[in-house]
Amino acid sequence: MLKIKNITKSFDSITALDNISLNIEKGEFFGLLGPNGAGKTTLINTIIGYLEPELGEVSIDGEVITVENTQLRKKIGYVPQDIALYLELSAYQNLKLFGRIFNLSGNELENKINEVMELVQLSDRKKDTVKDFSGGMKRRINLAVSLLHNPDIILCDEPTVGVDPQSRNAIFEMLHNLNREGKTILYTTHYMEEAERLCSRLAIIDNGKIIAQGTLVDLINMLEQKETIKIQKTAFTQDRIRSISDMGIISEHDFYYELIVNEKFKQHSKTFIRLEEEEIHNEFVQVSRATLEDVFLNLTGRSLRD
Amino acid sequence: MKNIYHLIVKDIVRFFNDKPAFILTFIVPMLLIVIFGNVFSGKGGGPRGKTDIILVNNSTSIVADLIESKLDTSKSLRMIKKYLPENSNDSVFIDEELAKEFVRTGKIMAAIVMPKDFFLDTSSALKFKFYYDPKNEIESAIVQGAMQQTIMTQIPKVMPIIMKRKAINYIGGDSTARFYRDMSRTVTKYFGVDSDSIMQNLTKVDSSSLFSSSSDTSAEVNFMGNIIQFENEQLVGKEITNPGLTRSVGGWAIMFLLFSITGAASSLFEEKQEGTLKRLLCMTVSRADILWSKYIYSTMLGVIQLLVLFVFSWAFFDIDIFSNFFNLMIIIIVSAMAAVSFAMLITSTTKTASQANGVSTLLILVMSALGGSWFPIQFMPEWMQTGSKATMTYWSVEAFLSVLWRNAPLSSVYTNIVVLLVFTVLLNTYSLVRFRNGRVF
Repeated sequence: MLKIKNITKSFDSITALDNISLNIEKGEFFGLLGPNGAGKTTLINTIIGYLEPELGEVSIDGEVITVENTQLRKKIGYVPQDIALYLELSAYQNLKLFGRIFNLSGNELENKINEVMELVQLSDRKKDTVKDFSGGMKRRINLAVSLLHNPDIILCDEPTVGVDPQSRNAIFEMLHNLNREGKTILYTTHYMEEAERLCSRLAIIDNGKIIAQGTLVDLINMLEQKETIKIQKTAFTQDRIRSISDMGIISEHDFYYELIVNEKFKQHSKTFIRLEEEEIHNEFVQVSRATLEDVFLNLTGRSLRD
Repeated sequence: MKNIYHLIVKDIVRFFNDKPAFILTFIVPMLLIVIFGNVFSGKGGGPRGKTDIILVNNSTSIVADLIESKLDTSKSLRMIKKYLPENSNDSVFIDEELAKEFVRTGKIMAAIVMPKDFFLDTSSALKFKFYYDPKNEIESAIVQGAMQQTIMTQIPKVMPIIMKRKAINYIGGDSTARFYRDMSRTVTKYFGVDSDSIMQNLTKVDSSSLFSSSSDTSAEVNFMGNIIQFENEQLVGKEITNPGLTRSVGGWAIMFLLFSITGAASSLFEEKQEGTLKRLLCMTVSRADILWSKYIYSTMLGVIQLLVLFVFSWAFFDIDIFSNFFNLMIIIIVSAMAAVSFAMLITSTTKTASQANGVSTLLILVMSALGGSWFPIQFMPEWMQTGSKATMTYWSVEAFLSVLWRNAPLSSVYTNIVVLLVFTVLLNTYSLVRFRNGRVF
């Protein structure tokens, strides 16, 4: 359905997208995971036709998207990272404006507005000015606007940035439902938890390049170590952590160190014996299943949040 | 104390990094001081510009020629005596009727006529006719003052003749002659002086004493007033009920138009920052759609704003806007279009809303001061008057003044309309190129 073929885009001397190719099938919930500045938004801007790539092309059902070809954009619902709404207008006025731009009018427009307002659970706040809404409510209206014209593909560019957990769950729920109804969704995020929870297939992007893609299982399977060892961060372990650097890759987090052990320590018993030798006792250690964070760390040597 | 110091340093650094704030704090006031300084103190780089007035000399008197030659060398007035008729290569002298016509149609603000009976053999005063258009009240007063000053400098030469004539008028010609004769005989008799030289001294009046005194008593003023007589005739604007506001309403309206339109056009920056602009571009909206909508909306806003200001002036201050309403509307529309093109230029050449705000405030205030929104440009040095013609404000203000003050027909403001349209086309073309290059969004 959505085909991205050898896209390259530069800004001055910086290559934002470097020969990117993706193929997203109809009805897929596809995740694009990468740290800030990896090129996610640039890729979305290129898909939507906002930016023209130097090389390559994006097509929907075989039809190539260009900056000039605005009609093809009707197939896309774009949920921007910013709250791209006229804050001094009411939710209803915003929806009416954007609906009209998509050639909706009369009863069709009114029905569609009611439908999306119900979907984002804000029907009772329809007439209120957007600037009076909470951050989560604004995000939901932001999403509602992109659904007005019943698009086939929904592009979500980090739609939950700065959203409280309750609104975030509501947005996830809505997107899940839309996907179940057959909508194709491309979802960018730098939260690996979101990607793991929502996406049936994923691509990991870093420095403008797709470094891995596949299902969550495919990506985890890329790791030799399917489990990670977390060591609680204390004054004592902080002193000792350097002494175990030969055991594998160690990344530092807020409250713990994560250790991806190398071949030599693949067996748990060997790992624990060594940790005991360094007096890092069991109460400091926790074994957990590998995550996308580990995949990213494994592929780049950096944490997603670096 | 240390904290206070650090906080002060922080504010200073922030201030100097904020270019619009810097411009508004220092550059704008300095430029306005330069303009006001040139207007009101005459300092700052050149003499005040000469005001053109028509001079018609119908008199055959030598005194009239003397005054004409002095007026020709005036530092503040430029005497226009000839004009070039259409379809002719030769200039012809302007007569009194033509001079009045030129004043009436706004081609010139005043005409001074020395009539045939300007200084007849028996006259004891210099009688001028002064035709004027007080579209600018202060300027009219300045012109009259400058003329009187210039003429006064010729009075010493004319004074003996005038004094003699006045004496003849007061005590009669025979009595005066008898008085001089008797007086010279008496002096000759007792002092043995030649009677002819006594007669010469008696008839010679030492006029320099009249001007050497610094005390300007009312008697002297009345005396001088009797000597120089202006027969004033206002040719334009006699029926205007509120001349002061009629003169200034266009200037103020155009300044606020520029402020509001620039604000409306630079809202593109806000939309860009909020992300709504991108959202629109990611829909079925093109960049051209956005620019056209902004242009049409801003022009409409400008037209409505000007209309409301003029209707308000009509409703509350009796400004006559309906006698020449069609032409007024044309000027309103063209001015709004030019103002929008200026706003688009600002938007396309700046990078942020605050930058646009700083630059536009600077340019609008300077254009308003230079273009005649605040005071008549005739107060400025000539180089500044030339510069004012490069501002769209000048052409709008002059056009509004013409249609409101003298009910000017469209043909009289044709040049203003064309210049404003040229401004519009040039600025819009440049902005469009900038927008197309994607420099703004």
